[in-house]
Amino acid sequence: MTRNLLITAALLASLTASAQERYATRTGHISFHSDTPMEKIEAHNHKATSVFDATTGAIEMAVLMKGFEFEKALMQEHFNENYVESDKFPKATFKGKITGITAEDLKKPGSHAVTVEGDLTMHGVTKPVKATGTMGMEPTGAIRATSTFSIKPEDYNIAIPGMVRDNIAKEIAIKVEVDHTKM
Amino acid sequence: MPMPRTVFTIPLIPLVIVGLLLLIGIPAAWYGWREYNRTAGPTSELEATETIEAVALLQAYTADENAANARFNGKVLLVSGTVREGKAPENGLVDVVLETGDPLAGVVCQFAQADVPSALTAGAPARIKGISTGLLMDVVLQRCAIVE
Repeated sequence: MTRNLLITAALLASLTASAQERYATRTGHISFHSDTPMEKIEAHNHKATSVFDATTGAIEMAVLMKGFEFEKALMQEHFNENYVESDKFPKATFKGKITGITAEDLKKPGSHAVTVEGDLTMHGVTKPVKATGTMGMEPTGAIRATSTFSIKPEDYNIAIPGMVRDNIAKEIAIKVEVDHTKM
Repeated sequence: MPMPRTVFTIPLIPLVIVGLLLLIGIPAAWYGWREYNRTAGPTSELEATETIEAVALLQAYTADENAANARFNGKVLLVSGTVREGKAPENGLVDVVLETGDPLAGVVCQFAQADVPSALTAGAPARIKGISTGLLMDVVLQRCAIVE
């Protein structure tokens, strides 16, 4: 009985999903970059999830903070333990809307300038974010979305100790590159 | 009449202080430099804090994510299971998904492309060491290494 209900729910969900033109990925690439005369820091995470609804423009992304990989192990440890406290706040999420593109635009190859606007939650703090980017169909059929924007650690209650303040940029550049496939 | 010879003497206490500073300072600087430049070592050489089946790992995360985060996140796990699929390489990384019985969620093990053994094909049994980063749609293990 339960199994039949689950199958029915899954079928309904897939029908609804196709009617809504949904695209998703589990392998989005998010990186951040801090560049100061003292030090250059960057970290990469290739396991961001993203679900995009082309009919409404709604997009939801999530990333595991412990999944950011740094070149230097010490930086990664400080990032997780002292700055983003990833034991307490294991995920960052973004929930928003992409404008400047229609479901029809995504049916043929090409790249379109878009605007993304929504709420970024990190370190237990939610802040509105607005950024420009591109979105379009790749020759492979993937729906690629890219964007670069900056955030200030202090906006997310991330305290940088005085000793390393000059080593970390006041604004951290976040780069998002996500290849969605149809759900 | 012979000229008096000038004798230069170095006071003992500053000499001892400088010696001690060098004795402590050089190893400390060397340790600091090494620690600053330390990279994450290969997971194959790390000891697993827990051995668990892929099915049980997903169940633990879905039953109580906070408890599972505290228990597994950032830890080296030795996960055993059956390979559901091996994904195509992307950005020098390869994902191997372990079967969990849930078609919508797996245990994803992220390997460096050079570290993926060819024997990891769908249906094959596997024992994989990796560092758990948590649950999104799947449980995600990074820096994975195969255990023979």
